[in-house]
Amino acid sequence: MVTTHTTDTRTKLIRIFTFLGGIYFFLYFVLPESAVNAIGMKSHHEQISNGFIVIGAMALGLGLYNIVRAHGARVVFQRAGWFNSLALLVGLSAMIAATSAQWIENVRNTKDIRSVQVLGEFATRIVEDAKTPPIDRTVPPVAERVFALIRYGEERTALIEAHTNLSVDEGTNGAASLVVGEVRERIASTRGILVELSGVAWERPSDEDLSRLTQFSQDAAKLASSYSILKRSHDAHSMSQKVYDFLFDGLFNQLGSAMFALLGVYIAAAAYRAFRVRTIESGLMMTAAVIVMLGQISFGKELYEHMPSIRQWLLEVPNSAAFRAIRLGAGVAGLMLAIRMWLSIESKSFSSGRK
Amino acid sequence: MGGRRLIYLLMILAVGLPIVFGISQKPSRLVSAERMYDVVEQVKVQPGEVAMIWLDFGPNTSAENEPQAQVLIEHLFRRRIPVVLLSQYQQAERFLAKIPNEVAKRLEAEMPGEQWRYGEAWVNAGFRPGGAIFIQSMVNAADVSKFLGRDVNGMPISHYPAFSAIGGVERIKLVGEITGLVGVFDNIIQFFQKNEYRPTIVHGCTSITIPEAYIFLDSGQLKGLLEGIAGAAWYSVVLKEHFPNSENKELLVTNTALSAAHIVLILLIVLGNIVPLFERRRSSHG
Repeated sequence: MVTTHTTDTRTKLIRIFTFLGGIYFFLYFVLPESAVNAIGMKSHHEQISNGFIVIGAMALGLGLYNIVRAHGARVVFQRAGWFNSLALLVGLSAMIAATSAQWIENVRNTKDIRSVQVLGEFATRIVEDAKTPPIDRTVPPVAERVFALIRYGEERTALIEAHTNLSVDEGTNGAASLVVGEVRERIASTRGILVELSGVAWERPSDEDLSRLTQFSQDAAKLASSYSILKRSHDAHSMSQKVYDFLFDGLFNQLGSAMFALLGVYIAAAAYRAFRVRTIESGLMMTAAVIVMLGQISFGKELYEHMPSIRQWLLEVPNSAAFRAIRLGAGVAGLMLAIRMWLSIESKSFSSGRK
Repeated sequence: MGGRRLIYLLMILAVGLPIVFGISQKPSRLVSAERMYDVVEQVKVQPGEVAMIWLDFGPNTSAENEPQAQVLIEHLFRRRIPVVLLSQYQQAERFLAKIPNEVAKRLEAEMPGEQWRYGEAWVNAGFRPGGAIFIQSMVNAADVSKFLGRDVNGMPISHYPAFSAIGGVERIKLVGEITGLVGVFDNIIQFFQKNEYRPTIVHGCTSITIPEAYIFLDSGQLKGLLEGIAGAAWYSVVLKEHFPNSENKELLVTNTALSAAHIVLILLIVLGNIVPLFERRRSSHG
């Protein structure tokens, strides 16, 4: 009894949310922009849409859970085909592990690169605040901030220098050795400006001093850019990247392509066995198919000069007309299906509670 | 059984021989690909304006879609148009990272001293779930770079100077959709628009979706189309006419292999109709 009541409540909730979701997007799409603005839909649309995207993304997690549950049970109880399920689960785990390792490495690198980017941004902020002191917040004196900038800059350049000493054979763009040289040059240039900055009396900075700080900001941005290339070049040779490359390029990509390539030989067999001209319609279809194929290859033009033009006409005129009709029909059917889903009368799970 | 094996062998030889011996032929001229070249050539960007390329394909259709993505990105890189790459399809994640890197590497080798760098020439916004809802939200966002948030490396996109101030969707000067999936292509056609803004959309499709793509090319919603490998091959020929150092040998070899497969297929269709005819005649005489 309690279960039936819970199921009923859940069904009602699903129906209500499906209806509200449907009516929201319907109204947003059909109402004029002025009306959407007037009722405040516009200002909240991004957040609401993000909410729907999050719910959509959850389906990925749900799919993962279902795969593990269904195939895990088959492996544990050694049901028919359990070995295939095991292969699927091992593949899934290996891919998740490799991707996670790569993601963690990416996040760590981004943090490192960001820590260098911050140098330039900090310098820009000091200049802006020195020229126009902020009224909404209190900032430390310029001298104190520049001192912190110099100290941080020295720390970061030392860190980047340590990275340039790592062996890099080949980079992201095949130019890692060039990047190492470039990074070293920029470290030297940034350090040079840091030395100049440390010699300035920052209690009363002149315009020239501030422009030197701006120069530092630009140099630091360039250093960050070169450093990010170097970092990513180095990562292209990391163990996690190699494992990921092997799994994706070596296995997944090849298996996926092989599956599709099988279609080619099946189509060839089907062309010989099943593409028979028995009626006028099938004759027309075969002629059109042969012309379209010939028009797409260079041999077709050698056979008959206007073959590509005939192919073009076939695709643009009869094909477009037929496909428009198909799309219109499918569109009307889709609309009906959408209405049925919107009103929760389509799926069995919605109507199972009905008597 | 024997006949089927012979057909398979014929097909393997037709596809394999041009690839093994590196045989290449000039591809057939495809008007839709030429139109796409002209469209990309005419794109003019001001600082902050970008092209947005959706790579919505995985390993299954990469044989057709990858060369299309390569020629389009190569053209945009050559024209120094900043490119935002992203996908509605999770299996495309690898291609989003790999293809622009390969193109950049090739161009840097071709033009020593010139650089195409991540964050300057392109940014990878990765896989974005949500399909149509995501596109609608992006189209309505005040600033696309802020809406996209972070790239695949976790870096805020607005931190890259070339992509820091994209602003509204109107500043996306070219939209490219490379896919074999009709659903994701429909999302772009239906929802990537706003008020008076109608983007310039170009599309790279697989051979099987060519007939469907033509209705949008005919209506003007698509400004250019790459029809399977043949489209990419012809685009690469046009690209080479304008940039003689552009490398397209591999693509032409693949296209030649495909052409050979087409010829075998046509022969099989003809044989499949003639042989039963003779057999019937022979049995009626016998």
